[in-house]
Amino acid sequence: MSDYLFEMLGIGKSFAGVRALDGIDLRVRPGECLGLCGENGAGKSTLMKVLSGVYPHGSWEGEILWQGQALQARSVRDSERAGIVIIHQELMLVPGLSVVENLFLGSEPTRPGGRMDYEAMHARARALLQELQLDDVDLSLPVMHYGGGHQQLFEIAKALAKDARLLIFDEPTSSLTMKETEVLLGIIERLKQRGIACIYISHKLDEVARVCDTVSVIRDGRHVATQPMRELDEQRIIALMVGRQLETLYPRVEREIGGVVLRVQHMNCQDALNPARQRVKDVSFALRRGEILGLAGLVGAGRTELVSAIFGAYAGRSAGEVWMDGRPLRIRSPRDAIQAGMAMVPEDRKRHGIVPLLGVDKNITLATLRHYTRAGKVQHEQECRVAEDQIARMRVKTAHAFQPIVHLSGGNQQKALFARMLLTRPKVLILDEPTRGVDVGAKADIYRLIFELAAEGVSIIMVSSELPEILGVSDRVLVMSEGRLCGDFINAGLTQEQIMTAAIDGGGRAVA
Amino acid sequence: MVAVSPRSPSAKPMPIHAQDLRKLFVQYKILALLLALAAIWGFFHVATDGAFITSRNVSNLLRQTSITGMLACGMVFVIIAGEIDLSVGSLLGLLGGVAAVLTVNLAWSSWAAVAAVLLLGLAAGGLNGFVVTQLRVPSFIVGLGGMLLYRGILQGITRGATIAPVPADLVYLAQGYLPPVPSSVLAAAVFATMVLSTLLRRRRRAGMAITQAPLWSDALKLGAIGIVLAVFVSMLNRYSGVPLPVLLLLVLLAVFTYVGTQTVLGRHIYAVGGNVEASRLSGINVSGVKMLVFALMGLMCAFAGIINTARLAAGSPSAGTNGELDAIAACFIGGTSMRGGAGTVHGALIGALVMTSLDNGMSMMDVDNYWQLIVKGSILVIAVWIDVLSGAKRD
Repeated sequence: MSDYLFEMLGIGKSFAGVRALDGIDLRVRPGECLGLCGENGAGKSTLMKVLSGVYPHGSWEGEILWQGQALQARSVRDSERAGIVIIHQELMLVPGLSVVENLFLGSEPTRPGGRMDYEAMHARARALLQELQLDDVDLSLPVMHYGGGHQQLFEIAKALAKDARLLIFDEPTSSLTMKETEVLLGIIERLKQRGIACIYISHKLDEVARVCDTVSVIRDGRHVATQPMRELDEQRIIALMVGRQLETLYPRVEREIGGVVLRVQHMNCQDALNPARQRVKDVSFALRRGEILGLAGLVGAGRTELVSAIFGAYAGRSAGEVWMDGRPLRIRSPRDAIQAGMAMVPEDRKRHGIVPLLGVDKNITLATLRHYTRAGKVQHEQECRVAEDQIARMRVKTAHAFQPIVHLSGGNQQKALFARMLLTRPKVLILDEPTRGVDVGAKADIYRLIFELAAEGVSIIMVSSELPEILGVSDRVLVMSEGRLCGDFINAGLTQEQIMTAAIDGGGRAVA
Repeated sequence: MVAVSPRSPSAKPMPIHAQDLRKLFVQYKILALLLALAAIWGFFHVATDGAFITSRNVSNLLRQTSITGMLACGMVFVIIAGEIDLSVGSLLGLLGGVAAVLTVNLAWSSWAAVAAVLLLGLAAGGLNGFVVTQLRVPSFIVGLGGMLLYRGILQGITRGATIAPVPADLVYLAQGYLPPVPSSVLAAAVFATMVLSTLLRRRRRAGMAITQAPLWSDALKLGAIGIVLAVFVSMLNRYSGVPLPVLLLLVLLAVFTYVGTQTVLGRHIYAVGGNVEASRLSGINVSGVKMLVFALMGLMCAFAGIINTARLAAGSPSAGTNGELDAIAACFIGGTSMRGGAGTVHGALIGALVMTSLDNGMSMMDVDNYWQLIVKGSILVIAVWIDVLSGAKRD
């Protein structure tokens, strides 16, 4: 019976009377990769916190068997000692410490007197990184010198250094480029061959389909299905997650595209810390009324820098002309941009979007609070009604309007931020990675909204690293590479390959 | 974690329930603070053989609280906005000293001196804000520098000596009373206004079908406020009436609470402290908000400085020493978040009352000064620890 590495049986957990998990069973064999799918708020993270000892034994119901024996972890340390290591969505590395110091953080090999045994650490680290095919890494350099992809791999090495038998990946690729993702998936394959089990949590179902042997789907804290991947496909998983068949993900609306609304000319941006480095090089483009313009490119191509410069939010120096409706604009701050009729939903929800302690209602009205005032006094009733309307229109799932927004799931926070910016009645809406870390159901809602807005005549610039999204939503696609605009395509019969080709070796042929 | 759908009618009782719990919890925090205050008062009352809770001492205690309280009013906004101002003790001293110099040495009329000092306070606070927001020096450093700078100027203009006597009409500001009859009338009027505005609000919200706190909870709140108001006014009336600085503090409490909860500026202060980048991207003038908060802080230093000089009937080169620490401690005891974005004015004032009660009670007990420092320090750390404990549960 115990050919399973571990079994979770009838796991249940409640928060203040709310049932978050209700009788969930999971089983994983050595060398197996289990995909765990479910919408945001379905209970995936809670379940993983139970497994990894964040919630100590006794604070939940049910039983965990580890190699057939009952596991009663009272802390993360206990479960790590057993061999369960979780790799979080946000990386837990100390940027200023060297690679080798990070790999052994908290479990440093020591010599008598408490001195760190650097020789042993280097030797072990070298072996671990070789296993992950990272021979070219300088172990003594601070971690911050390496990009997100490398850092993710360091996290895995760190887990292996603890003799992990079960690795839990929580949205591991949300900030990785396609190439880095490839490397990561390859490594998971090899870990499986070595008999290490994985639990892979991701909204990116193509990755789940590639790397997982079995898929478990949970919905509203309940176990819905566990099936071998070969009996499933992406559509089937989505249907299980959402509990209904999604109509098409991209409900395109036929509409007329009008005259030029926004014209950007000769935009240049310098790096905030290193002014010698150009992040955006002489970019010019025009945006028409009701048009959805996709902005594609690799991570670091300068897309975020370009749109923040247009919106007056760029940290470093930038220069360029922005014209709206044939008139030049002087934009020195987001305030100016909003007054001119622009709005932006930023990429990093936590850092640039939500005000965590304020209620959903107050977050929604943040940019337009002055509209609901009389003589400087906020008209709370009016404000509340506006917020309630938006919550209903955007289908934000929240217990009540004044719940602190930090308690909402990522997708619902994102919808609230959309509402905040839409209340400013923008002519031009800039979306930077609008569906990052958002579940399928909320994604569909966001796409529907984008098309509705375009049909109302709002012009949209959408930065996205997900090519299916770029192709599914855009009317026209601009591609950036190393700060330059190197592709301008009408989205008719356009393929992912064409975009990638432009993004990777576009350098030479700039398009006006 | 599990999202509750608020839209379907069957789920409707659920959110109200959760909201009640949350409100009770938030109120419980302030309730705990009040209970702690009651315990402190009870202790001193017993330890001083019944001399602590008397009309005379309560009148005295509240008057002492008024200076720390005024600083705390300004400080709570500064901390909510995610900044700190360490210069307020010295600035209080300087502005009080200027008031003394203007009236005593230069023979200005008291009213002209008060007006000039208020403007000067606004300007000095604005200067702090300018250096923080425009020159981008961290507020901790600006405060530290200002602490020395303002104290130095004060010692310069007073040449290290006490300046006395200030005119009688200035002294009256701190030592005068609103007589018993007008005090009672005023208290009744305040209470009636609160009842009326609550009723009006409930009717407006009922008309728009906005969920609101249950009737009993509003009634209970008003009842409690009414009783406290009645007890205090009758107690103060038995002595000489409401001291003028206490009246001023109550007016400031009303104004700051209004600004914090009802105005755009107030919301922006909370937003800027909660997430500065999100606020900037929402088109909020972040520098402007912070400038205003620091300027208000300066204005509060002016009020406190004038009252302090009036209370002592003299300008002293050491006036206001450690005033910033009392004000900051009052804010944290009163539940203001260290990281900004959360806090209340009334909480900070209760915190100020706790700090002053400790001073007052221990002085009455003839406790040595060094013990007073040890006790005050411990109470501050314990209070914030309890706050941290109760906050951790929310996760």
